[in-house]
Amino acid sequence: MRQFLVIGLFTGAIYGLLAVGIVLVYKGAHVFNFAQGEFGTVAAYVVWFFHSNGNAPYGLAVAVGLVAAVALGLIVERLVVRPLFHASRITLLVATVGVALFIVGTMFVVGKPEVRVLAPAIGGKPLIIFDTAIQPQQILALVILGAFALALWAFFSRTNLGLAVLATSQDPLATRIVGISLPAMSRFIWGFAALLGGIAGIVAGPISGLTPGFMTTIWLVPAFAGAVLGGMTSLPGAFIGGVLVGVAQNLGIYFLGQRLALPGPSELTVFALLLLVLLIRPQGLLGKEA
Amino acid sequence: MATRSARVGDDPHEPEEATEVVRIPDSGNAPTVTRPTETKGAPSRAPATASLLSEASPAAAPVHAFRPSRVGLAARITVAILIAVGVLLLPIPLDNVWRSRMALAVIFAVIGLSVNVITGHAGQISLGHQAFVGIGAFMSAYVVARFNFGAGFLAAGLTGAFLALILGLVALRIRGLYLALITLAFGLMAENTIFGIRGFTGGGAGAAAPRPALFQSDLAYVYLCLAVLAGSLLVDWRLLRTKAGRAIVALRNDERVAATLGINVTAFKLLAFVVGGFMAGMAGSLFAHWNQLVQAEDFQLLPGGRPLIWVLMAVVGGLGSRAGVVIGSAFFALFDFVVADIAGGSTWHLPLVGDVLVIILSPLFGAFLLLLTLTLYPGGIGQQLMPIRRWLAGGRFLEHKHRRGREKKEKRV
Repeated sequence: MRQFLVIGLFTGAIYGLLAVGIVLVYKGAHVFNFAQGEFGTVAAYVVWFFHSNGNAPYGLAVAVGLVAAVALGLIVERLVVRPLFHASRITLLVATVGVALFIVGTMFVVGKPEVRVLAPAIGGKPLIIFDTAIQPQQILALVILGAFALALWAFFSRTNLGLAVLATSQDPLATRIVGISLPAMSRFIWGFAALLGGIAGIVAGPISGLTPGFMTTIWLVPAFAGAVLGGMTSLPGAFIGGVLVGVAQNLGIYFLGQRLALPGPSELTVFALLLLVLLIRPQGLLGKEA
Repeated sequence: MATRSARVGDDPHEPEEATEVVRIPDSGNAPTVTRPTETKGAPSRAPATASLLSEASPAAAPVHAFRPSRVGLAARITVAILIAVGVLLLPIPLDNVWRSRMALAVIFAVIGLSVNVITGHAGQISLGHQAFVGIGAFMSAYVVARFNFGAGFLAAGLTGAFLALILGLVALRIRGLYLALITLAFGLMAENTIFGIRGFTGGGAGAAAPRPALFQSDLAYVYLCLAVLAGSLLVDWRLLRTKAGRAIVALRNDERVAATLGINVTAFKLLAFVVGGFMAGMAGSLFAHWNQLVQAEDFQLLPGGRPLIWVLMAVVGGLGSRAGVVIGSAFFALFDFVVADIAGGSTWHLPLVGDVLVIILSPLFGAFLLLLTLTLYPGGIGQQLMPIRRWLAGGRFLEHKHRRGREKKEKRV
């Protein structure tokens, strides 16, 4: 039981990392970005290719991976998001699903359906916390998540650029009138979101192993649940929500899976949690309509 | 996704109040507003077949009181009959392999139509469609083992409808982007939890779904599937021509306006879900007995991407256009087979890339087509078919005028 709580906390950190990127896009473009996970998959594969497969130093490989993710984000922005700028948000959402599916398909073709092992950023012995072995990589994920949530919160509330991003999503016309370029903002949002997704992928890759689309199949939906639980517009909320979903999911695995032997306990828990939040408190824990 | 309000006035039976209901919410698409002249344009439509092809989409340019000549009318009727007869006789010259493929294409078309009702007509996005189809399939297999095929088929449809009703209840509260998310999570839950219940689905091994004696042969099975498709097309067509259908379209365009017009938004939204769910359940039953074995992996997200294919084929086909949806669905059903034939097996050796799994190509290509449709050709295949459709319905053969950015800019949530 305690072990599940601890595992949940650290799994939740990865959800939180993805959720932060999801919230960023939602704040900036008012759309749910289902391609967020795939930015991470691509970055993780690039790091694997240069570092684990080739012999490039880890730092360099990570840099290349992040550049690849950002480039992907910009391409998606130019080819898919921009033409749909005036389309309904549902249409854009379906388009991001299409982007995710397209990238997953490409990963299958290029990356082959095999499990790859990505070296962790920091090695070393696992730490024992409440009888549970925790890899240093998982602690790193939690630390990065905390740092990002704080940094982004400061970015959105303290800097002009952050305020400009918020302005774009609230009133595009007024934003243009005061001299902020909407396409530039859009590029910035998607590039930045891809960067966050890339970091999430590189951190999560060594924990779950690399298969095509792993960020989408394993991490994306719980991350969305975390973002919704946190309130969709709130970055600290994404942090807390991600961690809470991780914990709830593992409690679900413990109670529903181990005690009641139900199949698919983690998906069941995430679905039930998402449904409850949306029915009872749709604005989430810390959310407010921006 | 514009409306088909331009067509509402066509029906000689219910002309007046219809135009009222649908016209108002349609503010974003001003040029398609119904005009009285249009009612004159349509009466010469060739009945059954043409009507099934009809009703396509949105940007139907107003037909200016044009009546085809006698020769033109004869030509239209001939072509309509040829299409109908062609489809009906097609299975006979085919070998059993292709008959079975055709059956799958028809089953996909029914699934596509079920998406069309929920997402196309009612505007409720559902990314968890595999849940309805899968539950229908497993329910059919479960009931067939205990009763008979008819009971299984009916049970499949009813289960699909029931499940869709529950999701519809959720959709009353949770809308838009959140609905997309919750349906995706619902689909994943169904995939892992419901399809994993051993007593119901046989766990990983799957459940046997024998065909009834009457439809044992592939030829008979194709005709069974075609009959169900014809029924679904009929329901879709008639649905839109009734008060209920217009109410559904109205609430898609603007729920608040629809409510002010006295439309019971709750009831009609649920009706759309129930009709779509019933179709999906029936398709699930046909799918189960097509393979004579249902497995949870038939409905898995990866690597085949089937759940998403079922949604995107309707979008690529053109939501709102029956003919487009049917063609789009059939295309994706046959895609895997044809590529496997070309590749000569389940993997395809490509230069530079190496061995590629065939099943991964349809989600890849499908996603590409989806993005192309959304960004450049929002009406999908249905829109490209518009000239033919309009001609068959008794209009002129006009080139489709393509307009970008047609979708109205919705108020952001």
